[in-house]
Parts: sequence; C-alpha cells; structure tokens
Amino acid sequence: MNIILVIMILTLLIPIYQGWKDEDIWQKMLAVASISSKTAILILFISVLRDDWMIAIVGVIILTVGNAGFMLLAQVIKRVTTEN
Amino acid sequence: MNNPDFSLYLITALLPLSAFLLVIQVNPFHALVIRGILGAIATLVYAILGAGDVALTEALMGTLLAITLYVIAVRSSLVMKLGVLETDFQKETQASISTEEKEKKDLFLLIISNFKKIIRKYYLRLELLSYKDINNLEKALQEKEVHGICFPINNNIKNNENLDNKNLYETIFRIERLYEIISQENSNVETNLSYVNIKQNKEEN
Repeated sequence: MNIILVIMILTLLIPIYQGWKDEDIWQKMLAVASISSKTAILILFISVLRDDWMIAIVGVIILTVGNAGFMLLAQVIKRVTTEN
Repeated sequence: MNNPDFSLYLITALLPLSAFLLVIQVNPFHALVIRGILGAIATLVYAILGAGDVALTEALMGTLLAITLYVIAVRSSLVMKLGVLETDFQKETQASISTEEKEKKDLFLLIISNFKKIIRKYYLRLELLSYKDINNLEKALQEKEVHGICFPINNNIKNNENLDNKNLYETIFRIERLYEIISQENSNVETNLSYVNIKQNKEEN
C-alpha cells in the first residue's frame, strides 16, 4: 500500500511542474484544478487505509466545493484577460 | 520505502516545494493561482496529520475565499485609467471587432495599442473612460477620476475628417510614475505624440 501512495505522490508532482513551467494562466488554472482533485483523492485513499471517517469527510468536501470555487476564480480571471 | 512514515515525509516535503514556487512568481495573477496549489497541498498535509478541522478551514477560507478576494483586489488596483473623447472611444470599441489593419491607419488606435504593450510589462491593464469634450476631460483629470487623458491637440473637432492622418494627440498624466514608464519606452511611439507631466498640489478639503 505504501508503494501505491508513493506513486500517487509522484503523479501529484506532474501538475506542480506544469503549473510552474507554463506561462499561460489557463494552463496554471488547469494545473491547480488537477492538483486539488488529486489531493482530495489522496486524502480519501489515506482515510480508507486508516479507517478514519473524519478525514474522509474533509476529502469529500474538498472534492465537491473546491472545484466549484475554481469556477468562480476562473470567471474573475476571464474578465481580466479578455479586457486586455 | 518500507518505513510507514516514508510517504508522510514525502507529502510534507511538497509543502515547502510549492511555497518556493509561490515565492518566485513575478506576475501577481500567476502568484495567486500558485497560491491555490499551496492551499491544496496544505489541506492534504493537515488532513493526513489528523487535523480535519484545520484542513477544512484551510480549503474553504484560506484557499477559496482569500484567492477570490485577492484576485478582485488586484484586478481593481493594477489598472491605468485613461480618459478619452467620445469619438475616439467609439473608434476603439469598433476596432476590437474589425481587423488589425485599421489599427495601422488610425493614430489613436496605434497610440492605445502602444500604451497597452508598454504597461503590459508592468502587469497593468488599460481602461478607457469616455468624456464628451476636452473641458470634461480636463475636469476629470483635476478631480482625479482618471490617471491620464488623451485628446487631439487641435480643438476644432470638425476639421478632423480632413486632417485625419495629420492629427496630433496629446497625453497628460497625473501620476509621475506612469509618465516615467511611458516616456522611458517612448522610442516605438509615433513622433507626433507629446507628454506633459502635471504635478497637482491641490489641497484636499
């Protein structure tokens, strides 16, 4: 199980690298959305491993509310970029 | 890798890594987006260390609310407000629909696109505000509604159609720093464009 966890962490590094390298703000937003989903899945996986329901609820809430919040952020950024 | 704490160390090491990425960002908008990455990873670390309530607060307040409010704050502060005449303003709104060839013919559109190019390096945004005539334009500058005004020098607007290509534009900045930025990179701007810097010592009542 530890191996699976390490593989998941290494996959988390891919969007971090992408968010650092890419200059386009939309690519960065994509990287953020990807990372937020991946961390939520990671929290769910660990909560199942430890049989801890409190952590699982945190993961579920981040998974649902987090991406809705990035929609809001994308709307604000869209207004800025289209005006220029 | 057999150590059960190994993956915990690995996850915790992601936090300073993403914090470093946040610190080296130059563009304020990019920094805010990277702040989202930092928030997501901080939530992960807090959750696996057993602090579910802290993780939830970090995700909802620290990441979502703070970033959205900061984006709105940066959007409204990093802006250069330029007052223009109504006729020029209409040209600009029409030009955004049509092709860029029109931009080369019209001096005003050329000036505006040049301004945009220069201030983009400083992550500023150009906002045009339209006014009816030059008197209203100067009044807006006096009352600090705009950072600068741009208008044709010959006051008789009716002659504009005949002298369309020979029209001279004058730009006045209220902010000294904006004037410095624009005048330093003046080499690309058309020659028949002049800048005047007015310092206002008007006492605020």
